Amino acid sequence: MIFKLLKMLLFRSRQKQPQVEAKNQANVSSSDTISPLLKSKLAVLKERMGTSSDFIIREISDTSSGPYPFAISYIDGLIDQGLLADLMESLTSDFGNSFQGDVDPAIWFKDKLPVGNLNVVSSEKQMVNSILEGRVLVMIHGVQEAYAVSILGGQRRGVEEPTSQTVVRGPKEGFTEDISTNTAMLRRRIRSADLSFESRIVGKYTQTKISVAYIKGIANPDVVKEVLSRIDMIQTDSILESGYIEEFIQDGVRSTFPTIYNTERPDTVAGGLLEGLVAILVDGTPFTLIAPVTFFRFIVSSEDYYQRYDLATFLRIIRFVSFFVALLLPSIYIATTTFHQEMLPTTLLIALAAQRESTPLPALLEALVMEITFEVIREAGVRMPRAIGPAISIVGALVLGQAAVQAGIVSAAMVIVVSFTAISNFVLPAINMAAAVRLLRFILMFLAGTMGLFGILAGLIPILAHLASLQSFGVPYLMPLAPFNKNNMKDVIYRAPWWKMKTRPVMIGDNNEVRQSANHNSFSEQATDHNKDPMR
Amino acid sequence: MNKYSVRVSGLAITLSLFEIGSTTLFLLGGKAKQDAWISMSIGAISGLILLLLYLVIYNLDAKHDLFELYRKYFGKILGSVLALVFVAYFTYEASRNLRDLGELTAMTLLNKTPLFLILLIAITVVGNTVRYGPMVLFIMCTILMPIMVIGYGLLVLFISVTGIAHLDYFLPVLENGMGPVWSAAIPELVSFPFGQTLLFLVFFCLVPKSKHLNKTILVAYCISAVVLIILNQLEILVLGPDLAGISTYPLLQVVQVIQVTKVLERTDALFTLILYLGLGVKIASFYLGAVIGLYRITSIKINIWVIPLGITILMLSLLSKTYTEFIWVGLHFTVNKVFPIFQIALPFLLLCVMLLRKKKRKEG
Repeated sequence: MIFKLLKMLLFRSRQKQPQVEAKNQANVSSSDTISPLLKSKLAVLKERMGTSSDFIIREISDTSSGPYPFAISYIDGLIDQGLLADLMESLTSDFGNSFQGDVDPAIWFKDKLPVGNLNVVSSEKQMVNSILEGRVLVMIHGVQEAYAVSILGGQRRGVEEPTSQTVVRGPKEGFTEDISTNTAMLRRRIRSADLSFESRIVGKYTQTKISVAYIKGIANPDVVKEVLSRIDMIQTDSILESGYIEEFIQDGVRSTFPTIYNTERPDTVAGGLLEGLVAILVDGTPFTLIAPVTFFRFIVSSEDYYQRYDLATFLRIIRFVSFFVALLLPSIYIATTTFHQEMLPTTLLIALAAQRESTPLPALLEALVMEITFEVIREAGVRMPRAIGPAISIVGALVLGQAAVQAGIVSAAMVIVVSFTAISNFVLPAINMAAAVRLLRFILMFLAGTMGLFGILAGLIPILAHLASLQSFGVPYLMPLAPFNKNNMKDVIYRAPWWKMKTRPVMIGDNNEVRQSANHNSFSEQATDHNKDPMR
Repeated sequence: MNKYSVRVSGLAITLSLFEIGSTTLFLLGGKAKQDAWISMSIGAISGLILLLLYLVIYNLDAKHDLFELYRKYFGKILGSVLALVFVAYFTYEASRNLRDLGELTAMTLLNKTPLFLILLIAITVVGNTVRYGPMVLFIMCTILMPIMVIGYGLLVLFISVTGIAHLDYFLPVLENGMGPVWSAAIPELVSFPFGQTLLFLVFFCLVPKSKHLNKTILVAYCISAVVLIILNQLEILVLGPDLAGISTYPLLQVVQVIQVTKVLERTDALFTLILYLGLGVKIASFYLGAVIGLYRITSIKINIWVIPLGITILMLSLLSKTYTEFIWVGLHFTVNKVFPIFQIALPFLLLCVMLLRKKKRKEG
């Protein structure tokens, strides 16, 4: 149903496309042609750009240094000053001298401008846009067109180690805020002509560049089309981060669970592309989106594929356990201590009861107080200036932890439960999945506090139903566990050795199933008999 | 875009969970004492014959579900009335299971909570699942299956490891002849649980036509029947035929008897959760069947029917004032006199009409 509706909408929006674009750029609407007169070009620019102090027009009207008067215009800070000086130099000196009068100046300039990336601009709108994109606009008197020269520069952050998803083994470089650096990083990893990028400009004011990356022949063309058309549907003022795009195009609009994965690791994106996923790169943020993804990708770290498969499997089990601990431990503690004491072994029960005797609050309130305290400390840890960091850990650990127990306000067991839950939450490699768990934990705690195990189950079943109903671009969210798929199970909890993962995941990389030649086995399986002979 | 459709495996898993469902709550074939397993086997085989009947109906006209079949072959008016009767039957079955769930909760986990509140929460949770439609139910069953398998598997393992099952409770075989064994099996055990697969005539047609369907469904049915017979007999082997016969929830009592080290003493609270899952699957399936029926008759969307039907199920489940009355109605009246009409008579009638009206069948 929803899909049909969506498709209808998409189809309509595709037809409306030209209109949408026009609306997007309504602020720079203008006539289609530009006047050959330098003065009128400059007048147009000045009218559009106003008196912004970073907008610079350099006009050279002295014809003795060149054949024609010309002007260049750019935005300060977006271009490389050194290259600009070179350009100016050549325009004014040698370049001008070599001009011969009998050639059409338009062709001559276009051919001879000493730069690599040159766009011919033939409308007022494009003139303004190319300046805003950070190009230098070269306008020559008497030439109908203008030339947009790309000498992008200015200060940008360099390639650094990703901070949000660190690994022990694996590449240490992360995406940056610059989209061309990011696409280059993917190119460097996948040197194939099949890797394609499709660009879109979104955001009426921000004019953010968005690149959709996929590998032709592996990615499902329908998914690519769907991603592109959903991006085309976006009509908004601004895109400042990939999170905007994620919220606009994800399937479960009201879901706490993410259906699009974000990462700042180029190797994770490259791995995804090779499985048949589609990546969405957004200019201005190192976080790149990949889709379609299932629940289990959020438990996987890219490191799993670099470490040995047995260790990777073990780590995945640990992460699964942590997922459930982070979701359920406080609620199970509340349920057992308030409703089902008989479930606990007697000695443990006595120990717990002795502790709880001196605490004034019921278990639910106690847990809520501690959980909220922890959330506050955590939020403070993110926001506060680095220099006060140690102070927070002292306050958090000593004052709120130990002192609260000694004062008899909370029980020691509760501190253990809350701390372990918090630590477990950090094990999850994807922050947005961890956030979903964090939110649902509170709901489950309430249910456990009011109805015990029955309440926990009454909370878990709707969560499960919700997960079962979610889809990410047509792929069921709980795939391959349910609907069960034996082939995809090779990369869920158990990470099969690489030589065993011969095919791409079903429903994602269906187009080009085979990842390795079917009869290739590991070296040891291929080895001849005498290699295996133990007596040798 | 990929379009995911319901798979046979999901349907088969749902059928087995549905069959195990609430059945393990009670001791079945208690009248046959230590020969309950023979009664159960007779019941299971009769159920298998009924399932074959349903599969024949499905294979004759695979494009329509139970309600559409009645409307097609019995005419609009009579067909709609019969379909409505089936909706009522499914609703009643759902309400019985809901009450079971409520009583189980009140007895084990929440002794002080009012029954109405428990039922309300349970029907809300189940209704929420039904709202998503059959595909989500099948996917959920696929996820819940490993949990149920592990739960029951551990139970059987612990019983055999701790040696609390007394094999001599098998004896004497057929102490009083075939009489009590037979009367325990038919019609009680056919009506509940083995004949209830009738419901799946609503779901079969959701699966894209597949050669495997018949075989997979039969295998799933047989596996769940064997599991049921084993679990049922284990209750007798652990508790003895007399105690098992008078116990309200014999399986929970078995769980309480198990003691593996000092840590795993009272796992019955945890095991109740597994019983909940079975009960939930059963309520959800009947509920969904009824909702689909109403949708077929009125062509008003499923999600609109969910709430009024949920309220009806809730009210119906409160019909019996006491648990004793509820159990008496369930295990003596409806099982013997009412359910066979729906599980045997009406489907058989449908089959006959389908065979007679060949032309109609070819209309597709």
